[in-house]
Amino acid sequence: MAQFTSTRRTFLAGTAGLAAASLLPFRALASSDATVTVSSPWGSNQPFQKVVDAYNAKKTGVSVINRMDGDYQEMATKALASIASGRPPEMMVTGWKFGYFARRTLGARDLAEIDAGKAEEIIGRFKPNVRPLVTIDDALIGLPWAMSTPVTWINMDLWREAGLDENIPLDVSHAWLVEQAARIDKALGGRNHPTYRSALDLSNNEWTSQAYIQNAGGFILDGDKLVCDSAEAIEGMTRFAEPVRAELWTNMDYRAQQKAMFAGNIAIVTTSSSRAAAAAKADIEFKDVMFPSIEGNRKMNSGGNFLAVYARDEELARASMDFLAFCASREGQEIWSEVGYLNTSVHDIPRGPLQEAAIAQLEAGLTPETIWPGARGLEGQDVWRQWVARILDGEVQPAEGLARAKDDLAPLVVN
Amino acid sequence: MTRARVRTAMTMLAPYLLTGPAIVFVAVFLYAPVLFSVGLSFSDWNFIHPEARFVGLDNYAQVLGDPYFREAAWNTALYCIVLIPAQIVIPLALAALLLRVGESRAGRIYKPLLFLPTILAYSTAGIAWLWLFDPLNGFLNTVLTTLGHAPSRWYTDPDLALWTVAIVTFWKTFGLNMLLFLAALVSIPKDILEAATIDKAGPFTRFRTIELPLISPTFFFVAVTTSFGVLDDIVGVIDVLTGGGPYGSSTNILYYMFERGLKYFQFGQASAASVIIIVLVLAVTWAQFRLLERKVHYES
Repeated sequence: MAQFTSTRRTFLAGTAGLAAASLLPFRALASSDATVTVSSPWGSNQPFQKVVDAYNAKKTGVSVINRMDGDYQEMATKALASIASGRPPEMMVTGWKFGYFARRTLGARDLAEIDAGKAEEIIGRFKPNVRPLVTIDDALIGLPWAMSTPVTWINMDLWREAGLDENIPLDVSHAWLVEQAARIDKALGGRNHPTYRSALDLSNNEWTSQAYIQNAGGFILDGDKLVCDSAEAIEGMTRFAEPVRAELWTNMDYRAQQKAMFAGNIAIVTTSSSRAAAAAKADIEFKDVMFPSIEGNRKMNSGGNFLAVYARDEELARASMDFLAFCASREGQEIWSEVGYLNTSVHDIPRGPLQEAAIAQLEAGLTPETIWPGARGLEGQDVWRQWVARILDGEVQPAEGLARAKDDLAPLVVN
Repeated sequence: MTRARVRTAMTMLAPYLLTGPAIVFVAVFLYAPVLFSVGLSFSDWNFIHPEARFVGLDNYAQVLGDPYFREAAWNTALYCIVLIPAQIVIPLALAALLLRVGESRAGRIYKPLLFLPTILAYSTAGIAWLWLFDPLNGFLNTVLTTLGHAPSRWYTDPDLALWTVAIVTFWKTFGLNMLLFLAALVSIPKDILEAATIDKAGPFTRFRTIELPLISPTFFFVAVTTSFGVLDDIVGVIDVLTGGGPYGSSTNILYYMFERGLKYFQFGQASAASVIIIVLVLAVTWAQFRLLERKVHYES
């Protein structure tokens, strides 16, 4: 067998060969597809990847790559850095609440400006009432395909164990829910229960606190004007904090709460309707009812994300529109519906499990979640969250906390 | 040019040629960003806008007037007061104990066990501690309730979050200092220690009068690196465990800087915060050199 002997000459020749080979445009030679990258919060085991795979299987000449970039905030950070470096992702899943930031700072494209005809065709496949959610500064900036709303999740195993009536109405009020939580805690608390730890969790965040304020007749922002210290907002926040004062709610962060809900530690949780898919697969039996009204009043908010185009290159922007058209199609929507979001499209897609409450709220009409205006809008959301947490912890009374939140938010929401 | 002259020139140039790449690397990736940061601290720029607007000292005024920065500065002081002595004294005591057990079976078990947390990734360690500190179902609360105490909210309690972060940071980082002290203690000549033993010096006297002075260079090195390392070490734990919350109760100035820059895109303010941090670290390091270096015995 011939023996290979390494010499300085063969080493140099080999290195030069490799260097030359690396310069060859193999990728371009291998495929003439336009490649579109979508920055998303979902990994390869999620339904979004199935949508991408189904589209790529059609071999339209456009290849889509799903790149998991963390949560909405982390994605926005990475997008900003990549835009600064001149290579933005062609598309990005963007939270509703970052709409202004997406358009004014990140430069999300107006779909009509890329291809007016196709943009109308795509948005025409969605219910007319969701169009305003993706219309920022008169520009249509995304595909409104992921909508959720906060609902009430009841752990039926704990509910039954506490001896409560299983005929739970779909429309529940705050007073009724707190009363049931007190009964559960009386029955299951104070003894060494294997799973039960807390009766209620209304979610310590900006979203459910906004819902409580709206149900009490107030708002956080009225347009660009801060009205979070109104009498109605104070009433809403007072009700929101009541269960913590009554020791029915062990206030904790979102991660711990999510884990606790599915570990059967909390009897009643108000949080996103998008937990439907996970709740349906859980070992625990969950029931969904509507978000608690305040004395019969309910003005619920929505949340979720839209798929926006950021490509600066016109060819890639048009390629992105092709993928958006697939996402809006019946086939795309059927795959996407596995996630557990509400169906915002005009397609008649079978309702997923545990979506009764969310659909009832959608039919009753939903407001957008707070879209923070101003160049420092992202910061505004965190400041609001911090004041909500302080009020829940009893560091300040609702009236004082909301007044101070308004002071802190005032310089952040200025355009 | 004669061969001798070429050789002389090469000899003179060699140090510059050999250190040149490293100097260029440090200049490009360390000093240039620091200078860029100083310039940025006087401007209003968010990465995307092509022009940075000169704002003078506005960013410094905003940072120093921000209640969250003041809270972060106060928390940083608390972290330093608790963690710097703990990260020096406890690893030193553990190293002294490990030296006594030597290469026995116990020594071979304890050394890797005590060093293990240092090599774990922050994310892995953070997840483990999140389970231990879980406010509803965590191991520590199970112990508390079994003993008849009320459960605690740990990292979600504004009064406890800072201490929770401090405990995890200590657990994650003490191993390296312990190893440095152990290496220094092992290198002390045995005959000196034997002579002291013959002179009837007890273990504590031996440690105080012989071992401690002989490891003073290591002690000084550990003191200096721990003082600014503690700022950095905490950031990883804060990020995984509390995110600086609840409402800023566990944040520190480095995490504040990270949030201003990479979360809120206020790069001018983040740069102003970074300049303040650099000045603070330089001041502390200078004070340490002035106070401690004269007590260091470099000769063996």
